[in-house]
Amino acid sequence: MITANENTSWVTAHADVALSGANIAWLNQQRKSALTQFEAVGLPGVRDEDWRYTNLRALKSNDYALSSASSLNIELADTTNPRLVFVDGHLDQAASTGLSDSVTSLKDSLEIVEAHFSSTLPKKPHGFTALNTAYAHDGYVVHLKSGQVLEGVLEVVFVSQSADAVSHTRNLIIADANTQCTIVERHVGTHGTVYLNNVITEVVAGDNAHVDHYKIQQESNDAFHMGGVFINQAKGAHVKSHNIALSGLVTRNDIHSNLLGQGAHVEMNGLVIGKGRQHVDNHTEVNHAVPNCTSDEYYKTVLDDHSRSVFRGRIIVAKDAQLTNADQQNNNLLLSKDAEADCKPQLEIYADDVKCSHGATVGQLDPVSLFYLKSRGIDAKSANALLTFAFANEVIERINVDSVRQELTQIIAGELLSGLEELV
Amino acid sequence: MLKVTNLHASIDGKSILNGINLEVKPGEVHAIMGPNGSGKSTLTNVIAGRDGYEVTQGSIEYLGNDLLDLAAEERACEGIFLAFQYPVEIPGVSNMAMLKAAMNSMRKYHGQDEIKAGDFLKLIREKADLVEMKHEFLKRAVNQGFSGGEKKRNEILQMAMLEPKLALLDETDSGLDIDALKTVSHGVNALRSPERSMILVTHYQRLLDYIVPDYVHVLANGKIVKSGDKSLALELEAKGYSWIEGMEDTAAAVQQAS
Repeated sequence: MITANENTSWVTAHADVALSGANIAWLNQQRKSALTQFEAVGLPGVRDEDWRYTNLRALKSNDYALSSASSLNIELADTTNPRLVFVDGHLDQAASTGLSDSVTSLKDSLEIVEAHFSSTLPKKPHGFTALNTAYAHDGYVVHLKSGQVLEGVLEVVFVSQSADAVSHTRNLIIADANTQCTIVERHVGTHGTVYLNNVITEVVAGDNAHVDHYKIQQESNDAFHMGGVFINQAKGAHVKSHNIALSGLVTRNDIHSNLLGQGAHVEMNGLVIGKGRQHVDNHTEVNHAVPNCTSDEYYKTVLDDHSRSVFRGRIIVAKDAQLTNADQQNNNLLLSKDAEADCKPQLEIYADDVKCSHGATVGQLDPVSLFYLKSRGIDAKSANALLTFAFANEVIERINVDSVRQELTQIIAGELLSGLEELV
Repeated sequence: MLKVTNLHASIDGKSILNGINLEVKPGEVHAIMGPNGSGKSTLTNVIAGRDGYEVTQGSIEYLGNDLLDLAAEERACEGIFLAFQYPVEIPGVSNMAMLKAAMNSMRKYHGQDEIKAGDFLKLIREKADLVEMKHEFLKRAVNQGFSGGEKKRNEILQMAMLEPKLALLDETDSGLDIDALKTVSHGVNALRSPERSMILVTHYQRLLDYIVPDYVHVLANGKIVKSGDKSLALELEAKGYSWIEGMEDTAAAVQQAS
C-alpha cells in the first residue's frame, strides 16, 4: 500500500513491480533513472508553477495499492471495431479482439519499443511521468512498418474497476514512414470508485505518417486521471490529438508535440465538460523545432456547478523555425457562477518570420443568440441547452472519422441536450 | 389582432418610444418608415419580447390578451415572428436542427405531437424552394458563412416554416441586391393571407414596390407622426426625411399643450 502523500512510499512500495522481462538492461536503466528523478521532484504540488491551479490534496489523502490483473466485471457496449480491453491497466486477453502483428501489449513488445520508450517525454518530467516510466506494467503498442495502413478504427478501452488501485500504463504508437492509423482510447470507471489512472501514450510519427489519436475520459466521478500524450513528429507527419474529458474528479493531461521534421503538422483538439466538483487541467505544448511546420490548437470548456478547468497552452518557436504557422484557441463557457476557468496561453517565439495567433475567452452564452432561438418559439431551457451543445460540438465537428464523430456527437448530446437528443 | 396603445419604452434608462398607437387587423400589411434612431427596430423588438427594453407606459394587446405578460418564446408560440435585421449566426447548430426544435417546441406548447421526420423534411424542402434556397444550406450551421442575402432568405424560410399570425420584418431589405430583394419579396408575398398580418420596418421605399402595404406610418422620435396609404411612402421618398422634422415639432407642441 502506498501512502500517497509520502513520496518515499511510491519508491519502496512499488519496488518489485513485475513487468515481464524486467531484467532487460535498458528498461532497468530507465526505471532506475526515473526513480532518481521522482525522488528529486516528488509528487507535484500547488507551489509548482505548472500545478498552481490544480490541488492534489484529495489524491494525496488516499492510499493506493498497485493494481493487479483481474477480469472485466462490467459490460462494454458492442462494437464492430477491433478492440483491446485493459482492466486496471492489465490487458484482458479474453475480452480483446484487436491483437495482431501490429497491435500488441507492451509486455509482449519490449524488443520493439526499446528504441522509442520514453523518447518523446519532456526533459524534466513531473512526478507522475517519472513514476510512469519507473513502474509502467502494461499498455498497448501499435507498430506500423513503413507504408502500412491500419484499416478502420482501433479501440482501446481502459477500465478501472478496483477501488484504491493505481495503474501506471504506457502505450506506444510507433508509426514508421508513410503509415496511417486511427486509435480511440477510452478511459472508463464506475462512479463512486476511487482510483488513480496514471497513463502515458507516446506517439512516434515517422516521415509522412498520419496518426489520429482520440482520448475520451469517462472516469469515475471520484477518480484521478493523470495523463500524458507525448508526440514526436518527423518530416511531413500529420498528427491529430483529440482530448475529451467528460468525467473524473481530478484530471490532468499533458499533451506535447515536438515538430522535428519540416512540413509536420499537429492538430490538438480538446473538450472539457465539467460538472459537480470536477477539475480538469490540460497542459498543451507545441514545440516548433524546425522551419515550415504548422500547428492548430482548439480547446473548449463547458463548466457547470462548482467545476473548474485549467488550460495552459505553450507554443515554442525555435530560432531556426522560420515560416512557422501556429494557431491556438481556447474558449471557456461558464454555466454557473461557481464554476471557474483559468487559462494561460504562453507563446515563446524566437524566430522572426512566423505567423502565430492565439485567442482565449471566458464567458456566458450570447444573449442575442438566446433571444434568436426564443423568438423561434424554443423555450429558455432548450435554447440554453442547444447553444451549449453547439459550443461544444464545434470541437466534435473537427473529427473527420465519421463513425467517431457521430458517436461523440451522441455522447455530447447526452451530456448537454437532455430531451433534445433527436436534434442531432 | 394587434393593438398598441400609448406605448412608451426605454433602454438603459433612455427613452426610445414615446407614445406609439397602432392597430393592425388580420391580413393587413403595415409599413413603418422613419429615419435612423426613430425607434422602428425598438418597436418590433418590444413586440417580440427582447430582453433589455423596459415598457414604462402603455399596453400591447394581441389577439385580445396582454402581450407584455408573455415571455419571448411564448409570444413566438402564439404566432409572433420577428425576422431579424441582423440574423444571428449559430455555429454548431444546423438550420434544420434549429427549425425542428422550434416547430416541436411550438407543437408541444399547443399540446400537439412532434412532427414526423419525413413530414418535416418534405415541408422544409418545399419552403426552401419558395425562397430559392439550395437544400445544402439546410444542413449548414444557422447563418454561418451566409451572405447578407442568404441570411435574409433564411429568415423568410423560417417564417414560412413557422407560419406566424403576425410577422415583424425588421429591415428585411437592408443589404439586399435587387435580385435577392425580388426573391425575398416573392417569399413574403406568397405568405400573405387574410389571416396573417405583417409589419414591415424599412428605411427605404424600394421594398414597398415589391411588398405593397395597406398602410404606411412614419415614425420620428419614438412617435408615429404621419399615417397614410402606400402613396405616403412615395411622398416621403420624394421629399426626404427632413420633411417630417417639422411634423415632430408639431407633435411635440401638441403633446406639450395637452
